[in-house]
Amino acid sequence: MSSLSPDDPKGCLRAGWYSTVGDYAIACGWACGGDLLVVGDAAGGVSAFEGNSGALRWSSAEIHKGGLLAMAVSPDGNLVATTGQDGRVLLWAAEDGERRREIDLGKGWVEHVAWSSDGTKLATSISRKVYVFDQEGLPLWNSEDHPSTVSALAWVKSDEVATACYGRASFFSASSGELLQKLEWKGSLVSMVLSPDGNVVVCGSQDNSVHFWRRSTGLDSQMSGYRGKPSALAFDSKGTLLATGGGESVTVWSFLGDGPEGTSPGVLNLHVLPITKLAFAPRGRRLASGARDGGVIIWELEKDGAGTATGAAILEELVSGLSWRPDGRALAGLDASGQVSVWRVGSR
Amino acid sequence: MDAQQKVPVTILTGFLGSGKTTLLNRILSEEHGKRIAVIENEYGEVGIDQALVINADEEIFEMSNGCICCTVRGDLIRVLGNLMKRRDKFDYVLVETTGLADPGPVAQTFFMDDEIREEFQLDGIVTLVDAAHIEQQLGRSDESTEQIAFADVLVLNKTDLSDSEGLDKLETRLRGMNRMARVVRSEKADIPVDTVLNLSAFDLDQVLERRPTFLEPEYPFEWTGVYDLQPGRYELSLDEGPDLEMSLVVTKDQGTDDASLRAGAELCVRSYAQPALPVEPGSSVALGKHVSLQLQATGRKSFGLEVSAPMQVGLYAQHTAEEFALQVLPASGGEAIAPCAERIWVAQHEHDDEVGSFAIERSGDVDPNRLNTWLSSLLRESGVDIFRMKGFLSIAGQPNRYVFQGVHMLFDGQEDRAWGDEPRLNQLVFIGRNLDEEAIKNGFDACLV
Repeated sequence: MSSLSPDDPKGCLRAGWYSTVGDYAIACGWACGGDLLVVGDAAGGVSAFEGNSGALRWSSAEIHKGGLLAMAVSPDGNLVATTGQDGRVLLWAAEDGERRREIDLGKGWVEHVAWSSDGTKLATSISRKVYVFDQEGLPLWNSEDHPSTVSALAWVKSDEVATACYGRASFFSASSGELLQKLEWKGSLVSMVLSPDGNVVVCGSQDNSVHFWRRSTGLDSQMSGYRGKPSALAFDSKGTLLATGGGESVTVWSFLGDGPEGTSPGVLNLHVLPITKLAFAPRGRRLASGARDGGVIIWELEKDGAGTATGAAILEELVSGLSWRPDGRALAGLDASGQVSVWRVGSR
Repeated sequence: MDAQQKVPVTILTGFLGSGKTTLLNRILSEEHGKRIAVIENEYGEVGIDQALVINADEEIFEMSNGCICCTVRGDLIRVLGNLMKRRDKFDYVLVETTGLADPGPVAQTFFMDDEIREEFQLDGIVTLVDAAHIEQQLGRSDESTEQIAFADVLVLNKTDLSDSEGLDKLETRLRGMNRMARVVRSEKADIPVDTVLNLSAFDLDQVLERRPTFLEPEYPFEWTGVYDLQPGRYELSLDEGPDLEMSLVVTKDQGTDDASLRAGAELCVRSYAQPALPVEPGSSVALGKHVSLQLQATGRKSFGLEVSAPMQVGLYAQHTAEEFALQVLPASGGEAIAPCAERIWVAQHEHDDEVGSFAIERSGDVDPNRLNTWLSSLLRESGVDIFRMKGFLSIAGQPNRYVFQGVHMLFDGQEDRAWGDEPRLNQLVFIGRNLDEEAIKNGFDACLV
């Protein structure tokens, strides 16, 4: 990928704009119907860029003492939640950056944050506990201590909150906080993704494997042989293709038919350093992958998980964030040096 | 990213009450111009503005494969993973473990996790020892033994509460368990900061610089004196000393340069392997024979020594001359004869602890394929019992030295400087429990080209 430069993407990726934030860019999300890109950085800053031009609309520095850890834009694109090492959750109006709510959860790192798919609830985790709020930031419930620090957080639609920690994935009722299901496995679960219907829960494990359960049957399977820790996982919008990182290859499992058990995955090789981020486009079988080498690659996948690279771009350092605009026609990429790039995405 | 850019990490272990907090506060309050992040597990006492202090709950994560060598500290992976994102980073990370911690999982975290390994380099393990209480602790718990065995630096703290003889004995015992570690003594953890930071313990050269004798073979004798004698009768005169008998071999035509002294030592090792012939005071010592001087009588005792031609003789003695005020005197009377050369050797320790260490030094090249096969089978079979290993290798066909370190069955190595004109050689140190030194040495020898 030496012929690539940040302002000269290839294939279906077309030049858009690029800008920078003050430190390692941690997370980004599209707001206001794709008009704004909101970026959080490790120094605790949040910045909102015009989606088309990259002009800075608003920003706020050092909002979390010690650093920002996670950020999520609400599904309607109107609210931004940020969390940090200061034990706080902050809610912002995406439009103008007005601070709407400040929630102090005490001493600890608030490492994860996620909105329910209808946008009415917000889940966060601090150390071993999960806290759920309404969209105004008013508390609804919180969990008991998990057996270890919560390592991943996700919603099953708007009905359940799913968590991963050492040895277990747990499901809580969104309305009451009741623990509905525990899936146990002796391993350190470092990442989690759910199929869109919530039936398949997939976790990357510290021992370089991917473990998944079908909640309807309670049966589980394991895919091993990864060269690294699978910290990047993504399901396509239909829940048939599961893309996994863990090493330099992107490994794609197909859930069609009786798969993925007993099938061979698609293996996508182009990155030269381990995969850091994976994101499926809002529709279709188009996948974006990012790696420690700074490379961003667009893949068109087949139903069986095989794929062809159709676009590529490169950032300065490790790719730390990838986010498709809701219409699927632009892709934002972040890197460890604080670079923010938006590319337009063509059909081919 | 190469090793130079990685953030060095020191792990600080030691039982409760050994002085870890005192040492941490000392490091943090000293003006060293470094930005240090401290990850501590015992809440509370440390709190200095210039450093970033993070409390992390010790979360020990075992893997489903059940292998203890794969066990890591999950909290460290998470905390370090986030810390490394900040640009205004820190130059150094100190991880303090709880008193009862097995240092294995902490150390393994820096080998096992690919992301942590990219950004951080285990620089050294420092173990604080409460000199007054460690003997009891060693008897009672595996953790204290492992904390000793894993260490690159052993700080014998609270020495003011022990007598010097007791400290010497303790130091000998600890060295028997871990000959790789540097031992420093302190009263209130008052040791220079550079004793615990930037150890580059990875680099065996640095270890050798600090303790040039650490790869030397151990001998059954501690001292050699060379005496230039004319034909005639002489007396070996010894005062009362720490032992009631002393082994001795007297060599003929002994040279005084280092090579000759070593050659004499090798010869004497073979003589020492023979049973010693007891020699009573007043009797004569035969040249080239392993004798045991009987020293039970009170006061000074004399033994005869006869030389038929002018020559230099070497006295390879079990104890130093100083310990028994040993003198060589002409039998006809007169002044004591001064030795024309003296040498102190690394004496064999008594290895009564299960945990011990040894070194291998071999010149020449190793065959990379044979080495790989041997090492993987060794680590597979004995990895659980190998706590630490490190060293450097001369790999056939490679212009550069290869340096490595390992924790249990995890192994990390990289190319180092070019050999250039230096003689090519291999040095390996192993620390572990009940290791079969002979078998490991033979295994390595079979890898030599």
